[in-house]
Amino acid sequence: MTTTEIATSTPGDRVETERATRSPGVITVLGVELRKLAAQKRARFALLGCLVAPLVVTVVLKGQQRPPKDTLYGRHVHDSGFAVALFVLTFATQWVLAFLTALVAGDIFASEDHLGTWKTVLTRSVSRTQIFVAKCFAACLFATSVLMVLAASTIASGVMLVGRQSLVGLSGQLILPSNAAVLVSASWATALPPLLAFTAIAVVVSVASRNPAIGMVGPIVLGLVSQLVGWLGGIDTARRLLPTTPFDAWHGLLTEHRYYGLITQGALVSAGWIAVCLGGALLIMRRRDITGG
Amino acid sequence: MKLHATRLFGPTIALASALALVGCGHTDVTKGRVEAALAPTFANLYVQQAIILGHPGVTIASAAASATCDRGGPKVADKGPGADWICMIHFTDDAGHAQDGKFELQIKSNSCYTAAGPSNLIGLVTITDTRGNDVSNPVFEFDGCFNPAT
Repeated sequence: MTTTEIATSTPGDRVETERATRSPGVITVLGVELRKLAAQKRARFALLGCLVAPLVVTVVLKGQQRPPKDTLYGRHVHDSGFAVALFVLTFATQWVLAFLTALVAGDIFASEDHLGTWKTVLTRSVSRTQIFVAKCFAACLFATSVLMVLAASTIASGVMLVGRQSLVGLSGQLILPSNAAVLVSASWATALPPLLAFTAIAVVVSVASRNPAIGMVGPIVLGLVSQLVGWLGGIDTARRLLPTTPFDAWHGLLTEHRYYGLITQGALVSAGWIAVCLGGALLIMRRRDITGG
Repeated sequence: MKLHATRLFGPTIALASALALVGCGHTDVTKGRVEAALAPTFANLYVQQAIILGHPGVTIASAAASATCDRGGPKVADKGPGADWICMIHFTDDAGHAQDGKFELQIKSNSCYTAAGPSNLIGLVTITDTRGNDVSNPVFEFDGCFNPAT
Protein backbone atom coordinates (compact mmCIF):
# COMPACT_ATOMS: atom_id res chain seq x y z
CA MET A 1 0.00 0.00 0.00
CA THR A 2 1.45 3.37 -0.94
CA THR A 3 1.39 6.49 1.17
CA THR A 4 -1.37 8.12 -0.84
CA GLU A 5 -3.50 5.05 -0.49
CA ILE A 6 -3.09 5.09 3.29
CA ALA A 7 -3.97 8.75 3.44
CA THR A 8 -7.30 8.20 1.72
CA SER A 9 -8.07 4.86 3.30
CA THR A 10 -11.03 4.01 5.52
CA PRO A 11 -10.59 3.03 9.20
CA GLY A 12 -10.80 -0.63 8.23
CA ASP A 13 -7.85 -0.28 5.92
CA ARG A 14 -5.79 1.44 8.57
CA VAL A 15 -6.26 -1.61 10.76
CA GLU A 16 -4.86 -3.72 7.96
CA THR A 17 -1.70 -1.63 7.82
CA GLU A 18 -1.32 -1.86 11.60
CA ARG A 19 -1.58 -5.61 11.35
CA ALA A 20 1.25 -5.66 8.88
CA THR A 21 3.58 -4.10 11.44
CA ARG A 22 2.60 -6.09 14.56
CA SER A 23 0.86 -9.36 15.15
CA PRO A 24 -2.85 -8.79 15.75
CA GLY A 25 -4.34 -9.61 19.11
CA VAL A 26 -6.79 -8.47 21.73
CA ILE A 27 -5.27 -4.97 21.81
CA THR A 28 -5.73 -4.52 18.06
CA VAL A 29 -9.37 -5.61 18.21
CA LEU A 30 -9.94 -3.45 21.29
CA GLY A 31 -8.61 -0.46 19.36
CA VAL A 32 -11.04 -1.14 16.53
CA GLU A 33 -13.95 -1.62 18.94
CA LEU A 34 -13.17 1.60 20.79
CA ARG A 35 -12.95 3.50 17.52
CA LYS A 36 -16.33 2.05 16.53
CA LEU A 37 -17.75 3.14 19.90
CA ALA A 38 -16.33 6.64 19.56
CA ALA A 39 -18.06 6.95 16.21
CA GLN A 40 -21.41 5.81 17.63
CA LYS A 41 -23.86 8.64 18.28
CA ARG A 42 -25.52 6.61 21.01
CA ALA A 43 -22.32 6.20 23.02
CA ARG A 44 -21.35 9.84 22.60
CA PHE A 45 -24.79 11.11 23.62
CA ALA A 46 -24.83 8.77 26.63
CA LEU A 47 -21.55 10.24 27.89
CA LEU A 48 -22.73 13.77 27.16
CA GLY A 49 -25.97 13.01 29.02
CA CYS A 50 -24.00 11.79 32.04
CA LEU A 51 -22.14 15.09 32.02
CA VAL A 52 -25.15 17.39 31.61
CA ALA A 53 -28.08 15.55 33.25
CA PRO A 54 -26.83 15.89 36.88
CA LEU A 55 -26.58 19.65 36.42
CA VAL A 56 -30.18 19.82 35.16
CA VAL A 57 -31.42 17.50 37.91
CA THR A 58 -29.72 19.60 40.59
CA VAL A 59 -31.21 22.83 39.21
CA VAL A 60 -34.69 21.26 39.13
CA LEU A 61 -34.29 19.86 42.66
CA LYS A 62 -33.15 23.25 43.92
CA GLY A 63 -36.23 24.91 42.49
CA GLN A 64 -38.63 22.46 44.11
CA GLN A 65 -40.46 23.42 47.29
CA ARG A 66 -40.85 19.88 48.59
CA PRO A 67 -37.84 17.61 48.46
CA PRO A 68 -38.40 14.06 47.08
CA LYS A 69 -38.55 12.26 50.42
CA ASP A 70 -39.39 8.84 48.99
CA THR A 71 -35.81 8.21 47.95
CA LEU A 72 -32.95 7.95 50.42
CA TYR A 73 -31.29 11.38 50.91
CA GLY A 74 -34.15 13.03 49.03
CA ARG A 75 -35.18 14.95 52.14
CA HIS A 76 -31.70 16.49 52.46
CA VAL A 77 -31.21 17.72 48.88
CA HIS A 78 -31.68 21.35 49.94
CA ASP A 79 -29.37 21.01 52.92
CA SER A 80 -26.15 19.73 51.37
CA GLY A 81 -24.64 19.23 47.94
CA PHE A 82 -23.34 15.85 49.08
CA ALA A 83 -26.92 14.74 49.76
CA VAL A 84 -27.74 15.60 46.15
CA ALA A 85 -24.92 13.31 44.99
CA LEU A 86 -26.20 10.44 47.16
CA PHE A 87 -29.80 11.04 46.09
CA VAL A 88 -28.80 10.83 42.43
CA LEU A 89 -26.75 7.70 43.19
CA THR A 90 -29.79 6.03 44.79
CA PHE A 91 -31.88 6.98 41.79
CA ALA A 92 -29.25 5.97 39.21
CA THR A 93 -28.84 2.50 40.71
CA GLN A 94 -32.57 1.80 40.26
CA TRP A 95 -32.35 1.46 36.48
CA VAL A 96 -30.33 4.28 34.95
CA LEU A 97 -26.93 2.60 35.29
CA ALA A 98 -28.21 -0.71 33.89
CA PHE A 99 -29.67 1.22 30.98
CA LEU A 100 -26.49 3.16 30.28
CA THR A 101 -24.22 0.12 30.18
CA ALA A 102 -26.76 -1.88 28.15
CA LEU A 103 -26.69 0.85 25.49
CA VAL A 104 -23.26 -0.41 24.51
CA ALA A 105 -22.89 -3.89 26.02
CA GLY A 106 -26.29 -5.03 24.77
CA ASP A 107 -25.40 -4.01 21.25
CA ILE A 108 -21.70 -4.73 20.85
CA PHE A 109 -22.24 -8.38 19.82
CA ALA A 110 -25.78 -8.25 18.48
CA SER A 111 -24.98 -5.34 16.13
CA GLU A 112 -22.72 -7.71 14.15
CA ASP A 113 -25.80 -9.91 13.65
CA HIS A 114 -27.93 -6.92 12.91
CA LEU A 115 -25.53 -5.65 10.25
CA GLY A 116 -24.57 -9.14 9.08
CA THR A 117 -20.87 -8.55 9.67
CA TRP A 118 -19.90 -11.63 11.72
CA LYS A 119 -18.47 -13.39 8.70
CA THR A 120 -16.27 -10.42 7.88
CA VAL A 121 -15.10 -10.04 11.48
CA LEU A 122 -14.42 -13.71 12.08
CA THR A 123 -12.41 -14.28 8.94
CA ARG A 124 -9.73 -11.88 10.24
CA SER A 125 -6.58 -13.38 11.68
CA VAL A 126 -7.76 -13.14 15.28
CA SER A 127 -9.56 -15.89 17.16
CA ARG A 128 -13.17 -15.73 18.30
CA THR A 129 -11.99 -15.66 21.90
CA GLN A 130 -9.76 -12.66 21.20
CA ILE A 131 -12.65 -10.81 19.58
CA PHE A 132 -14.87 -11.77 22.51
CA VAL A 133 -12.37 -10.52 25.10
CA ALA A 134 -11.79 -7.27 23.22
CA LYS A 135 -15.51 -6.56 22.88
CA CYS A 136 -16.07 -7.27 26.58
CA PHE A 137 -13.18 -4.96 27.49
CA ALA A 138 -14.61 -2.21 25.31
CA ALA A 139 -18.04 -2.58 26.97
CA CYS A 140 -16.46 -2.51 30.46
CA LEU A 141 -14.38 0.55 29.59
CA PHE A 142 -17.51 2.34 28.43
CA ALA A 143 -19.39 1.35 31.62
CA THR A 144 -16.51 2.59 33.79
CA SER A 145 -16.32 5.89 31.89
CA VAL A 146 -20.07 6.39 32.23
CA LEU A 147 -19.89 5.86 35.99
CA MET A 148 -16.88 8.14 36.41
CA VAL A 149 -18.38 10.96 34.36
CA LEU A 150 -21.76 10.65 36.09
CA ALA A 151 -20.20 10.57 39.57
CA ALA A 152 -17.87 13.51 38.94
CA SER A 153 -20.60 15.60 37.33
CA THR A 154 -23.13 14.82 40.08
CA ILE A 155 -20.77 15.62 42.94
CA ALA A 156 -19.57 18.79 41.19
CA SER A 157 -23.14 19.95 40.44
CA GLY A 158 -24.24 19.33 44.04
CA VAL A 159 -21.27 21.13 45.53
CA MET A 160 -21.47 24.06 43.10
CA LEU A 161 -25.23 24.63 43.20
CA VAL A 162 -26.18 23.57 46.74
CA GLY A 163 -22.88 23.83 48.58
CA ARG A 164 -20.36 22.02 50.77
CA GLN A 165 -22.47 21.74 53.91
CA SER A 166 -22.14 18.96 56.48
CA LEU A 167 -24.00 15.79 55.61
CA VAL A 168 -26.40 13.94 57.89
CA GLY A 169 -25.31 10.30 58.00
CA LEU A 170 -27.52 7.23 58.08
CA SER A 171 -27.18 7.07 61.88
CA GLY A 172 -28.18 10.71 62.24
CA GLN A 173 -24.55 11.75 62.83
CA LEU A 174 -23.13 14.88 61.22
CA ILE A 175 -20.39 14.21 58.67
CA LEU A 176 -17.97 17.10 58.09
CA PRO A 177 -17.66 18.33 54.47
CA SER A 178 -14.10 17.05 54.01
CA ASN A 179 -15.12 13.57 55.18
CA ALA A 180 -18.37 13.71 53.24
CA ALA A 181 -16.52 14.37 49.96
CA VAL A 182 -14.44 11.20 50.45
CA LEU A 183 -17.40 9.06 51.56
CA VAL A 184 -19.64 10.22 48.73
CA SER A 185 -16.94 9.50 46.13
CA ALA A 186 -16.35 6.08 47.70
CA SER A 187 -20.10 5.43 47.64
CA TRP A 188 -20.18 6.08 43.91
CA ALA A 189 -17.17 3.79 43.47
CA THR A 190 -19.03 0.89 45.12
CA ALA A 191 -21.46 0.96 42.19
CA LEU A 192 -18.71 -0.22 39.82
CA PRO A 193 -18.82 -4.02 40.55
CA PRO A 194 -22.62 -4.31 40.10
CA LEU A 195 -22.41 -2.06 37.04
CA LEU A 196 -19.87 -4.43 35.48
CA ALA A 197 -22.15 -7.35 36.44
CA PHE A 198 -24.95 -5.67 34.47
CA THR A 199 -22.51 -5.16 31.61
CA ALA A 200 -21.86 -8.92 31.62
CA ILE A 201 -25.59 -9.62 31.74
CA ALA A 202 -26.11 -7.35 28.73
CA VAL A 203 -23.29 -9.17 26.90
CA VAL A 204 -24.79 -12.62 27.43
CA VAL A 205 -28.26 -11.41 26.47
CA SER A 206 -26.79 -9.75 23.40
CA VAL A 207 -24.85 -12.86 22.36
CA ALA A 208 -27.75 -15.25 23.03
CA SER A 209 -30.54 -13.21 21.47
CA ARG A 210 -28.51 -11.85 18.53
CA ASN A 211 -30.83 -8.87 18.72
CA PRO A 212 -29.63 -5.39 19.76
CA ALA A 213 -33.08 -4.37 21.03
CA ILE A 214 -33.34 -7.38 23.35
CA GLY A 215 -29.72 -6.86 24.37
CA MET A 216 -30.50 -3.32 25.49
CA VAL A 217 -33.92 -3.85 27.07
CA GLY A 218 -33.20 -7.28 28.62
CA PRO A 219 -30.81 -6.09 31.35
CA ILE A 220 -33.13 -3.26 32.36
CA VAL A 221 -36.09 -5.64 32.72
CA LEU A 222 -33.90 -8.09 34.63
CA GLY A 223 -32.73 -5.27 36.90
CA LEU A 224 -36.29 -4.18 37.65
CA VAL A 225 -37.42 -7.78 38.31
CA SER A 226 -34.39 -8.29 40.54
CA GLN A 227 -35.33 -5.18 42.54
CA LEU A 228 -38.91 -6.34 42.86
CA VAL A 229 -37.74 -9.70 44.22
CA GLY A 230 -35.37 -7.84 46.54
CA TRP A 231 -38.23 -5.89 48.10
CA LEU A 232 -39.87 -9.13 49.26
CA GLY A 233 -39.27 -9.96 52.89
CA GLY A 234 -37.99 -13.21 54.29
CA ILE A 235 -35.65 -14.17 51.46
CA ASP A 236 -32.60 -12.26 52.54
CA THR A 237 -30.06 -15.00 51.83
CA ALA A 238 -31.28 -15.13 48.25
CA ARG A 239 -31.57 -11.34 48.12
CA ARG A 240 -27.81 -11.04 48.59
CA LEU A 241 -27.23 -13.01 45.39
CA LEU A 242 -29.32 -10.70 43.23
CA PRO A 243 -27.35 -8.46 40.84
CA THR A 244 -29.06 -5.30 42.14
CA THR A 245 -28.37 -5.82 45.86
CA PRO A 246 -24.68 -4.70 45.68
CA PHE A 247 -25.93 -1.29 44.54
CA ASP A 248 -27.03 -0.71 48.18
CA ALA A 249 -23.62 -1.56 49.65
CA TRP A 250 -22.66 2.11 50.09
CA HIS A 251 -25.11 2.48 53.00
CA GLY A 252 -22.41 0.94 55.20
CA LEU A 253 -20.09 3.88 54.52
CA LEU A 254 -22.56 6.49 55.74
CA THR A 255 -23.46 5.04 59.15
CA GLU A 256 -21.72 6.06 62.38
CA HIS A 257 -20.15 2.61 62.80
CA ARG A 258 -19.17 1.80 59.25
CA TYR A 259 -19.66 -1.69 57.92
CA TYR A 260 -17.86 -2.96 54.87
CA GLY A 261 -19.37 -6.45 54.79
CA LEU A 262 -21.93 -5.55 52.15
CA ILE A 263 -19.26 -4.02 49.90
CA THR A 264 -17.10 -7.17 49.99
CA GLN A 265 -20.17 -9.34 49.56
CA GLY A 266 -21.39 -7.16 46.71
CA ALA A 267 -18.04 -7.37 44.93
CA LEU A 268 -18.03 -11.18 45.25
CA VAL A 269 -21.63 -11.51 44.06
CA SER A 270 -20.91 -9.20 41.12
CA ALA A 271 -17.79 -11.21 40.27
CA GLY A 272 -19.96 -14.34 40.28
CA TRP A 273 -22.46 -12.80 37.88
CA ILE A 274 -19.63 -11.60 35.63
CA ALA A 275 -18.01 -15.06 35.57
CA VAL A 276 -21.27 -16.90 34.84
CA CYS A 277 -22.54 -14.45 32.22
CA LEU A 278 -19.28 -13.96 30.35
CA GLY A 279 -18.51 -17.70 30.56
CA GLY A 280 -21.91 -18.50 29.11
CA ALA A 281 -21.57 -15.86 26.42
CA LEU A 282 -18.12 -17.11 25.38
CA LEU A 283 -19.43 -20.67 25.19
CA ILE A 284 -22.36 -19.65 23.00
CA MET A 285 -20.12 -17.59 20.77
CA ARG A 286 -17.45 -20.27 20.33
CA ARG A 287 -20.00 -22.97 19.51
CA ARG A 288 -21.94 -20.80 17.15
CA ASP A 289 -21.99 -21.86 13.53
CA ILE A 290 -21.73 -18.76 11.43
CA THR A 291 -22.79 -19.55 7.93
CA GLY A 292 -25.12 -16.67 7.13
CA GLY A 293 -24.07 -13.14 6.12
CA MET B 1 -33.58 -16.68 18.31
CA LYS B 2 -36.73 -18.17 19.82
CA LEU B 3 -34.85 -21.37 20.46
CA HIS B 4 -32.19 -19.52 22.43
CA ALA B 5 -34.73 -17.64 24.49
CA THR B 6 -36.53 -20.85 25.50
CA ARG B 7 -33.24 -22.56 26.27
CA LEU B 8 -32.30 -19.77 28.67
CA PHE B 9 -35.76 -19.61 30.22
CA GLY B 10 -35.66 -23.05 31.87
CA PRO B 11 -32.35 -22.63 33.72
CA THR B 12 -33.30 -19.11 34.82
CA ILE B 13 -36.53 -20.32 36.42
CA ALA B 14 -34.69 -23.23 38.05
CA LEU B 15 -32.03 -20.90 39.43
CA ALA B 16 -34.62 -18.44 40.73
CA SER B 17 -36.58 -21.19 42.52
CA ALA B 18 -33.40 -22.61 44.00
CA LEU B 19 -32.44 -19.17 45.29
CA ALA B 20 -35.90 -18.63 46.77
CA LEU B 21 -35.71 -21.99 48.56
CA VAL B 22 -32.23 -21.31 49.92
CA GLY B 23 -33.26 -17.94 51.29
CA CYS B 24 -36.64 -18.76 52.75
CA GLY B 25 -37.33 -17.87 56.34
CA HIS B 26 -34.31 -15.68 56.96
CA THR B 27 -34.58 -11.92 57.32
CA ASP B 28 -32.09 -9.14 57.93
CA VAL B 29 -34.67 -6.95 59.67
CA THR B 30 -34.91 -7.96 63.33
CA LYS B 31 -36.25 -6.27 66.47
CA GLY B 32 -32.78 -6.14 68.03
CA ARG B 33 -31.13 -4.49 65.03
CA VAL B 34 -33.92 -1.94 64.62
CA GLU B 35 -33.81 -0.97 68.30
CA ALA B 36 -30.02 -0.78 68.33
CA ALA B 37 -30.03 1.50 65.26
CA LEU B 38 -32.98 3.74 66.09
CA ALA B 39 -32.04 4.94 69.60
CA PRO B 40 -28.57 6.39 68.78
CA THR B 41 -29.87 7.83 65.49
CA PHE B 42 -32.65 9.63 67.36
CA ALA B 43 -30.16 10.87 69.98
CA ASN B 44 -27.84 12.28 67.27
CA LEU B 45 -30.71 14.10 65.59
CA TYR B 46 -32.22 15.31 68.87
CA VAL B 47 -28.91 17.00 69.70
CA GLN B 48 -28.95 18.67 66.27
CA GLN B 49 -32.50 19.89 66.89
CA ALA B 50 -31.45 21.35 70.25
CA ILE B 51 -28.59 23.21 68.53
CA ILE B 52 -31.01 24.64 65.93
CA LEU B 53 -33.49 25.70 68.64
CA GLY B 54 -30.71 27.04 70.84
CA HIS B 55 -31.47 24.77 73.78
CA PRO B 56 -28.25 24.41 75.75
CA GLY B 57 -26.98 21.35 77.52
CA VAL B 58 -28.53 18.65 75.33
CA THR B 59 -26.01 15.91 74.57
CA ILE B 60 -26.26 12.31 73.43
CA ALA B 61 -25.57 11.27 77.02
CA SER B 62 -28.21 13.60 78.50
CA ALA B 63 -30.84 12.43 76.00
CA ALA B 64 -30.14 8.81 77.06
CA ALA B 65 -32.36 7.41 74.34
CA SER B 66 -33.48 3.80 74.24
CA ALA B 67 -35.98 2.13 71.92
CA THR B 68 -38.51 -0.70 72.18
CA CYS B 69 -39.97 -1.87 68.89
CA ASP B 70 -42.89 -4.01 67.87
CA ARG B 71 -44.19 -5.02 64.51
CA GLY B 72 -47.91 -5.21 63.72
CA GLY B 73 -49.20 -5.93 67.22
CA PRO B 74 -48.86 -9.10 69.32
CA LYS B 75 -49.90 -11.54 66.61
CA VAL B 76 -47.17 -10.64 64.13
CA ALA B 77 -43.57 -11.75 64.62
CA ASP B 78 -41.25 -8.80 65.29
CA LYS B 79 -39.10 -9.21 62.20
CA GLY B 80 -39.08 -8.50 58.49
CA PRO B 81 -39.59 -5.36 56.40
CA GLY B 82 -42.89 -3.51 56.52
CA ALA B 83 -44.66 -0.24 57.23
CA ASP B 84 -46.26 -1.54 60.44
CA TRP B 85 -43.36 -1.18 62.87
CA ILE B 86 -43.99 0.92 65.97
CA CYS B 87 -41.11 1.98 68.19
CA MET B 88 -41.34 3.65 71.59
CA ILE B 89 -38.32 5.86 72.19
CA HIS B 90 -37.63 6.63 75.81
CA PHE B 91 -35.49 9.75 76.27
CA THR B 92 -34.82 12.73 78.49
CA ASP B 93 -35.88 16.03 76.93
CA ASP B 94 -34.13 19.43 77.08
CA ALA B 95 -35.97 20.29 80.31
CA GLY B 96 -34.76 17.11 82.00
CA HIS B 97 -38.12 15.32 81.87
CA ALA B 98 -38.40 11.67 80.90
CA GLN B 99 -40.42 11.26 77.71
CA ASP B 100 -41.81 8.39 75.66
CA GLY B 101 -42.36 9.07 71.97
CA LYS B 102 -44.20 6.76 69.62
CA PHE B 103 -42.43 6.52 66.26
CA GLU B 104 -43.86 4.87 63.18
CA LEU B 105 -41.27 3.07 61.10
CA GLN B 106 -41.33 1.99 57.52
CA ILE B 107 -38.55 -0.58 57.13
CA LYS B 108 -37.31 -1.82 53.78
CA SER B 109 -35.74 -5.18 53.03
CA ASN B 110 -32.38 -3.48 52.43
CA SER B 111 -32.13 -2.63 56.14
CA CYS B 112 -33.00 1.05 55.72
CA TYR B 113 -35.93 2.70 57.41
CA THR B 114 -37.90 5.93 57.59
CA ALA B 115 -39.09 6.98 61.04
CA ALA B 116 -41.83 9.53 61.74
CA GLY B 117 -42.10 10.99 65.23
CA PRO B 118 -44.94 12.44 67.31
CA SER B 119 -45.18 16.20 66.67
CA ASN B 120 -46.47 16.99 70.18
CA LEU B 121 -43.14 15.81 71.58
CA ILE B 122 -40.60 16.65 68.94
CA GLY B 123 -42.20 19.53 67.03
CA LEU B 124 -43.61 20.10 63.58
CA VAL B 125 -42.03 19.51 60.18
CA THR B 126 -40.31 22.90 60.31
CA ILE B 127 -38.88 24.61 63.37
CA THR B 128 -37.60 28.14 63.93
CA ASP B 129 -33.90 28.48 64.55
CA THR B 130 -32.19 31.00 66.85
CA ARG B 131 -32.01 33.57 64.04
CA GLY B 132 -35.73 33.30 63.26
CA ASN B 133 -35.45 31.21 60.09
CA ASP B 134 -37.74 28.29 59.39
CA VAL B 135 -35.67 25.15 58.92
CA SER B 136 -36.63 21.50 58.59
CA ASN B 137 -36.94 19.61 61.85
CA PRO B 138 -34.32 16.84 61.86
CA VAL B 139 -36.29 14.51 64.15
CA PHE B 140 -39.77 15.00 62.65
CA GLU B 141 -39.05 12.38 60.02
CA PHE B 142 -35.70 10.77 59.32
CA ASP B 143 -34.00 7.99 57.37
CA GLY B 144 -31.47 5.52 58.66
CA CYS B 145 -29.80 2.23 57.78
CA PHE B 146 -28.34 -0.53 59.91
CA ASN B 147 -25.80 -3.29 59.47
CA PRO B 148 -27.66 -6.47 58.51
CA ALA B 149 -24.74 -8.61 59.69
CA THR B 150 -24.49 -7.70 63.38
